Amino acid sequence: MKKLSEKAFLACLMALLLAVPAVTLLWSRHKADSFYENRALAQFPAVTAESLWDGGFGEALESWYSDHAPARSTLLKADAAVQMKLLRRPVVNEIVVMGDMLLPFIKYGGLKEADYRRVVEETTGRFHALNAYIESLGSKFLYVGLPEQRIYFEDRFPAYLNDGKASMAAADAVFAQSLREGGVDFLDMRAVFDSLGRPAEYYPAVDHHYNYYGAYAAYRALMGHLAAEGFDLPVLTEADLDFVELPNPYTGSRNRKLYNLWPSPDRAVVGIQKDPVAFTRWDNGEPSEIPLFSLPATEEELVYYTLYMGGDFGETVLKTDRPELPNALIFGDSFTNAMETLLYASFNETHILDLRHYKEQPLKDYIADYRPDIVISIQNDTFFYGDGTGNDGVWED
Amino acid sequence: MAFHSIAFLFGFLPLCLLAYYLLPARFREGRNGVLLVCSLLFYAWGGLWLLPLFLAACLIAWGGGLLAEPGKPWGEAVFAASLALLTGALAVFKYAGFLGENLKALGLDVPVPSLALPAGISFFAFQAISYLADVRRGVIPPERRFSRLLLYMAFFPQLLQGPIVRYGEFASCLADRRESLADISAGAVRFCFGLGKKVLLADALGSIANGAYASGDRLTVSLAWIGSIAYTLQLYFDFSGYTDMAVGLGRMFGLPLPENFHYPYIAQSAGEFWRRWHITLSRWFRDYVYIPLGGNRCSRGRQVRNLLAVWLLTGLWHGASWTFVLWGLYYGVLLMGERYLWGRGLEWLPGALRHLYALLLINFGWVLFRAGTLEQAAAMLSAMLGFAPGGVWSGESGYYLRQYAWEWLAAVPAALPVKIWLSGWLEKQREADGGLSGAALIWGPKLLALALLGLSAVRLLSSTARSFLYFQF
Repeated sequence: MKKLSEKAFLACLMALLLAVPAVTLLWSRHKADSFYENRALAQFPAVTAESLWDGGFGEALESWYSDHAPARSTLLKADAAVQMKLLRRPVVNEIVVMGDMLLPFIKYGGLKEADYRRVVEETTGRFHALNAYIESLGSKFLYVGLPEQRIYFEDRFPAYLNDGKASMAAADAVFAQSLREGGVDFLDMRAVFDSLGRPAEYYPAVDHHYNYYGAYAAYRALMGHLAAEGFDLPVLTEADLDFVELPNPYTGSRNRKLYNLWPSPDRAVVGIQKDPVAFTRWDNGEPSEIPLFSLPATEEELVYYTLYMGGDFGETVLKTDRPELPNALIFGDSFTNAMETLLYASFNETHILDLRHYKEQPLKDYIADYRPDIVISIQNDTFFYGDGTGNDGVWED
Repeated sequence: MAFHSIAFLFGFLPLCLLAYYLLPARFREGRNGVLLVCSLLFYAWGGLWLLPLFLAACLIAWGGGLLAEPGKPWGEAVFAASLALLTGALAVFKYAGFLGENLKALGLDVPVPSLALPAGISFFAFQAISYLADVRRGVIPPERRFSRLLLYMAFFPQLLQGPIVRYGEFASCLADRRESLADISAGAVRFCFGLGKKVLLADALGSIANGAYASGDRLTVSLAWIGSIAYTLQLYFDFSGYTDMAVGLGRMFGLPLPENFHYPYIAQSAGEFWRRWHITLSRWFRDYVYIPLGGNRCSRGRQVRNLLAVWLLTGLWHGASWTFVLWGLYYGVLLMGERYLWGRGLEWLPGALRHLYALLLINFGWVLFRAGTLEQAAAMLSAMLGFAPGGVWSGESGYYLRQYAWEWLAAVPAALPVKIWLSGWLEKQREADGGLSGAALIWGPKLLALALLGLSAVRLLSSTARSFLYFQF
């Protein structure tokens, strides 16, 4: 039996060791990105003298091979299921799974208030300069700061995990103070939501954005703020909208990291205008037929936050052809998407820039060309500072 | 190329095995040739820039061995020159930066060179030195065929992190060995167990240790202990996992490699620990430094000098930093203490207390080893002794215990000789239970090995694997 076991073991082992490269070579060309990891898969590396000399080729080939291994997504999904359901780890794939909602794992430590002051100055300085420039053109600049889901539900973290509460509160306060010191009109939506009692229905359990109810509350607060500033703009009230809850499972960014294994209670909501304000749309300079809500074709189809405005674009232009209304420029992160479906109805022309993607010209030049009456920056508070937020493009000397 | 990379597991290894075993056993030199080509490819995977220095070291060892043979004119001079070249290369690549930094700290205006450390230099330089010393002493004849010495130096299972092999042990198998199904199977099982140790245990424990060592002013007493114990276990599973893979691979090709570990954490003294930890390095220092200096056949004063020299060098071998120097001297002092002061007293203690004594000392020692600076080492050690900036307990400690509960549960028995106890028990049961235990003994390790390979591969796909700790040395 010993010999048989040795033969069987070695046969299994060699079959496994050889099957993986064989299937990878056959299947690798069919995949370009990893949906659940939300990233592009590594490309097969080019062989160059330099990469062979410094070992870069070996490293790159390892990444490619690892990314294109057969059944990779299925295996990683099974691994996530085991970690979550069998081993019952509190954190799986950087997501806290032990409560009644999915929150991100926040690393212990991080910056202190004094550190934030140093970091903040650089970002707010750009907004100070932008504000001064916009005011010099006779326009209005407003910065709308929104809490991200983890901030909104900061009390829901298990006690032994870092909720980031103290550091984020300090950071947000420093940011708000610094913006206001530079004369920027700052609308702190965290305070607005707090004054409304922080309704739980404003944010989903599985996504880092707010949901449509949260977006609508923020929209109303924003419109109220502009009215107080003297802008007489049409507003979409509850009476103008039908809030429709889609039957489809809502897949948030948090659950996506868990391969949708967490049973989500969330459903996406859209606000259908009873008397729609007509518009024409351009995305990245090209005419676009993408509607305000990219509704799923079937009830089973998974729905994402990209439902709103079709996701992120470098530049989107919505024209309602009502010259009596002012023109607006909105720039920010994906939190703008849900609000754009409402905001455009208050303006003649609404231009929306996502500075993470829009690189055609500096923001200052864009404003100089477009001459909007109102410029609104809408960002969640994890975007206030840091790399990759596009804020380095707010003001380029 | 790392043993725990997808490219090695599902590319290099099966191709190498196929190329090797498709050649009939009678073509021994052909099989050696396959191993040599594969080994050079394995090393060059990290960059062709690695090859010139490595080949130069091999040429120095080979040429030096031929010319330094006992009885050759100028033999002693050639031997000394070869040693100087090998240790010089090691010193330049590994210690020039450290020396420059310290001279600069003393106020001297010297440039601080920043040279990339060639992978495995500490190991292949020591193998070359041991070969030259053995030839010079007449223990082995010089190898006339360069390809054989090159394979000894380059043999990929042991090239990057040992075990440190002696040519006398290796050469006989090069010329005459018989690969068997039982050896290939046992080697593959051992390889899979080593892979599991590294990927499933060491890397997870490493996350805990990294978190604790990076905690700064959040450090609590509990976190310091959790972090230091995690590192103690991580280092063992990392390095012994690598050694299991190396020994397993050697066995798969019919080339046995020496053992490097023998359950070091069951030691009852610092001395016993070093007879169980990195055995081939201890043996190297004993035979090529300690004994030539006079060993313990000399006055007590010279014995102390010899011990301190060996442990200073052991510390420095592990890395060019004052923490490693301190760590080496720490063991030098402990071993002298056990030999001359409290060794007798230890023998009177109950076994459990002796284990506790050894484990505490080992754990404190690894703090010096792991810390990036002397300040960090001092902060960790003071926290472990109750003086922590963050108090006694924090949520962070709770997180590391809960998040890695399974690794903690698996790590403790895996560091003990449970496998030996279980095998012994199953052997005893074999007669009584009608063959069930026998089947478990035969099939159990193989099935477990396949499971560990599968689980490790999945973990590697998620790109959380870390480099081997001893790779940096």
